[in-house]
Amino acid sequence: MDILVLIKQVPDPEALVEIGSEGKDLNIEPKFAINLFDEYAIEEALKIREAHGGKVKAITLGSAKAIEALRTAIAMGADEAMLIEDEGFAAGDGYNTALVLSRALEKEMFDIVLCGRQAIDADRGEVPQMIAQFLGLPHVGVVVKLDIADGKTVAESAFEGAKEVIEVALPAVFTAQKGLNEPRVPLITGVMKAMKVQIPKLTVEDLGLTRDMAGPGGSKTKILQYLPPKKRPAVQFIEGEPAHAAAEAVRILTEVERVI
Amino acid sequence: MDKVLVFVEIKGDGPRKVSLELLCEAARFAQNGRFSVEAVCIGRLPDAARDKLLSYTEKLVHFTDPELAVYSPEGYARALAGYAREGGAKMVIAGATGIGRDFLPRVAVLLETGIASDVTGANWLNEPMTFVRPMFGGKVFAEVVFSTSPVILTVRPNSFAMGEAQEKGGEYIEKTAGISPDTIHTKVVRVEEASRDTVDLTEADLIVAGGRGLKAAENFNLIEELAGAIGATVGATRSVVDAKWREQADQIGKSGKTVSPKLYIGAGISGAIHHIMGMDTSKVVLAINRDPNAIIFNYANYGIVGDLFEVLPAMTQELKKRKEG
Ligand SMILES: Cc1cc2nc3c(=O)[nH]c(=O)nc-3n(C[C@H](O)[C@H](O)[C@H](O)COP(=O)(O)OP(=O)(O)OC[C@H]3O[C@@H](n4cnc5c(N)ncnc54)[C@H](O)[C@@H]3O)c2cc1C
Repeated sequence: MDILVLIKQVPDPEALVEIGSEGKDLNIEPKFAINLFDEYAIEEALKIREAHGGKVKAITLGSAKAIEALRTAIAMGADEAMLIEDEGFAAGDGYNTALVLSRALEKEMFDIVLCGRQAIDADRGEVPQMIAQFLGLPHVGVVVKLDIADGKTVAESAFEGAKEVIEVALPAVFTAQKGLNEPRVPLITGVMKAMKVQIPKLTVEDLGLTRDMAGPGGSKTKILQYLPPKKRPAVQFIEGEPAHAAAEAVRILTEVERVI
Repeated sequence: MDKVLVFVEIKGDGPRKVSLELLCEAARFAQNGRFSVEAVCIGRLPDAARDKLLSYTEKLVHFTDPELAVYSPEGYARALAGYAREGGAKMVIAGATGIGRDFLPRVAVLLETGIASDVTGANWLNEPMTFVRPMFGGKVFAEVVFSTSPVILTVRPNSFAMGEAQEKGGEYIEKTAGISPDTIHTKVVRVEEASRDTVDLTEADLIVAGGRGLKAAENFNLIEELAGAIGATVGATRSVVDAKWREQADQIGKSGKTVSPKLYIGAGISGAIHHIMGMDTSKVVLAINRDPNAIIFNYANYGIVGDLFEVLPAMTQELKKRKEG
């Protein structure tokens, strides 16, 4: 089984995010991590390799700094990695990201593509499905279980309340959800290896694309401005003994807010 | 007139609430006569669901190919994109449900256009239209504009208000998309429906959530009783799910579900940012925590500083008293 894992370096979940220059850009505290859901994807790829052999290759589209995410994947146990270095495309919309990655995938041999179900920065959750469509492949989204046995691949997808058990023909794309596995912590030997390994880089031109496609004229959607979330008014404490406060809370919700 | 397609989803015997919300919102912005709205249903459509939909839309198009009887991202995307192309639709809208978010990105690729996912607000009458969607778990919002057509959107449930059903029913049209079985490479072997009859968290109007302050799985009956008294859905924090007190499906937050109810009651929840990210678009928030400095109070409209083991049963009792009185 040859497995490609598509990962993204994102700001750490705790990083401060502030709106800058009158809504035109974001000031993000420079702390980075592998996207949470991508860690499940890497772990699952390693598990499949352990059971069935083959190789695991991690691929990212990002800035030069994103190579750190690839080193983490290697430290966890990935065999190879590849960086598609382009800040413009990396900051672009889902369509362009999927376009670049699908072009890169056309040059690879693989049975399985694993991705996280959503990147926790842009929160789009679009790219894996788009890649599948670009390549004419099936996908199974929000996967919490993946079984490969006797030439059959069966994935369990957790859409909201229901669980769907889906049989899929390979090659296919899967998006990993929390619950799929417990991502391993890299061993020190892995970290040493990852520091030394040479990671090849590609440019979008290598993939037959041009940089201006990611510019304002080339992308399908663009962000006009960033807006702050609606601020909630300061909390109003409901005082008194528990029984009294509880009754008062019920009164407010029923008579003032009229939500129940 | 610009054609707008609203993909409608069926759950059980009826349309999903978000589908009706979108039909109502589309009817509102179409009032100026610039747009014509069609509902599109793919696959199973019980009579009751069809009748209900027809009281919310002027036209319902139903794709009945046997290959589309159960959901597949490949099949649904082809059918919806094909119909959008055929009719020259300017906009395709679906709920940001599990299924909506799963296959609409494929529709965008088939139509060589962009998509805005999990939209929470829209300026339909701006030229060009703009859409607002959360990023970074709701820490900021982005206003998005399309440079290509059609516009493809998935819209978060509870973002737009429900309207009234219409007296006169709409037109119903059956169609086939001509999907051949070999274009679908997935096969649903089994579906395990959630074992409960309450509304899913993502669509719920009312939510009562509990955290580690509940101390044990069995104490969640206090949360369930309060939820039962108001017809709310139960939610939980990650700590509680990791401790196996509640199922994964109940988790609210960054690595769980994003909810937007009219009322969110949280008890014994500290208010970690990862949890807040999943519930900060709730309209009214009531937090119950014995620690007056708990962070959740920063994200609440109302707070009770007290022991949840006293406050929750007292609320349930007060609600029962009011019902009887
Ligand atoms: C990458 C990442 C992703 C995460 N994703 C999520 C997510 O999706 N959802 C999520 O919820 N968390 C998530 N977390 C975990 C999150 O950071 C918190 O650890 C978690 O939300 C805390 O859960 P809690 O509030 O139930 O527990 P605690 O933080 O332990 O809080 C318990 C609260 O109960 C109060 N309490 C105790 N006893 C009583 C009583 N008798 N009466 C009243 N109050 C009482 C305490 O004062 C305290 O405030 C994530 C963490 C990480 C690192």
